[in-house]
Amino acid sequence: MVHKPDSALIILGHGSTVNPDSDVPTFAHAAEIRRRRCFGEVTCAFWKEEPSFRQVLLTVESDDIYLVPNFVSEGYFTQKVIPREMRLAGPITERGGRTLKYCEPVGNHPQMTEGLLRRARETAPGVPAAETSLVIVGHGTSLNENSGAAVKKQVERILRRGEYGEVIGAFMEERPFVTDWRTLTTCPNVVAVPFFISDGEHSYQDIPVLLGIEPEITAAASQRDVFRHNPREIEGRRLFYASAIGTEPFLADVILEQVARFDKQREAVLA
Amino acid sequence: MGGRIELALLHWLDQGRTQVGQIVIERAGGDFLLRHLADVGQEKLEEKNLPEDALEIARWDAEGKYRPLKTAPTLRRGWRFRLGSVAELALTVEYFYPAMLGSYLAAREGRLGVTPLRETLNRQTGLYALTRKATVEDAETVIKRRCHSESGCLKTILWPIEDEPPRGFPAEKFTLAGGGERIPLPCAEGCNLLVAAIRRQLKKKA
Repeated sequence: MVHKPDSALIILGHGSTVNPDSDVPTFAHAAEIRRRRCFGEVTCAFWKEEPSFRQVLLTVESDDIYLVPNFVSEGYFTQKVIPREMRLAGPITERGGRTLKYCEPVGNHPQMTEGLLRRARETAPGVPAAETSLVIVGHGTSLNENSGAAVKKQVERILRRGEYGEVIGAFMEERPFVTDWRTLTTCPNVVAVPFFISDGEHSYQDIPVLLGIEPEITAAASQRDVFRHNPREIEGRRLFYASAIGTEPFLADVILEQVARFDKQREAVLA
Repeated sequence: MGGRIELALLHWLDQGRTQVGQIVIERAGGDFLLRHLADVGQEKLEEKNLPEDALEIARWDAEGKYRPLKTAPTLRRGWRFRLGSVAELALTVEYFYPAMLGSYLAAREGRLGVTPLRETLNRQTGLYALTRKATVEDAETVIKRRCHSESGCLKTILWPIEDEPPRGFPAEKFTLAGGGERIPLPCAEGCNLLVAAIRRQLKKKA
């Protein structure tokens, strides 16, 4: 149980200038953690919205500050953009009498595997897993070779359980591409779960087009009357598409556990 | 938000600075009332009392369009907050106008760092690396379209493009002084929306 009344927690999100749903989970987890009163201050900061990574330190007053990226992968944003924008020197940055503690992104946490599997089961209830290809969909980018690693790690963990007929990772912007799901998978049922933080532009609007379940980009989730229908029959296969797992309430606990893990790792380094 | 920002906010209210962007704050007994400036005198307003409600109000304009820039002059009307503590008040203002109270307090205390737009553009990578090539003229074209208080953004521009502030704005767009009843909204650095708009301008030019 984290109890740090003299510390601040800043949850770092991507945010969006075009999709209204992108920041919703980050704000929701902040509100939940604030309600639990385990930090003196709790706030959010974003790459694409305000408060920005550049501004946010002006909004907190504690000298001891934990930064938890609400990102799935340890890639371009967590390794390059956030450290650059917040002028971080590493896991610990001392500046002007303040200590900034840069934790691992939520996507690294072991509970994310449970979250992905729960989403897969909810999305295709009663569909036998042994006759199902599970596709974990990530962003992937040529800007950072580590970007797809989070998806690959989840695929390995799920494969080890032997529950699904097939488990693969697929990406928007690197190989194997999600557009090729028809040839990448072989089972009669295909469940695609986006490993994303929000039902935002990529997971709600872009990936359905890449999968072929929408002919063109739709409005944002919050601006449509219904969430998507499952399954879609495509070329004799049944394709189920899930919503992003970052919206689940357990993510607030994952954020707090990333703080606890940070402290534990520092203790081990100092011991 | 910590105690110093809350105390500063109380102090500014006591001085009669009751407007922040398009909202106005009143005291009513021990409570704080918040509403849209254009709704002063209106009685039929939707009552709110949770700071988180401000997130939803600030998210959409009157036509239901997403507002990625919270300091755009497009805050919708029709609501009134009644808040019982200064902590809730400060958090609600933070949701309407992120980082503005903290920025203004830092400016008052002489510790608000200002970044010239050229520096902001020069550190961009990935998608936005292209903006390093922007000329002062490219930047000014976009700033004129994006940052005007009437149509784009209510913030006070504190940064130069390189050495000079952008042209085509009245002098008050660049100063936090004066302002009468307003708590100003300081812009210490060009935002991501501006950087993205400069990228689009360069793409169009190419």
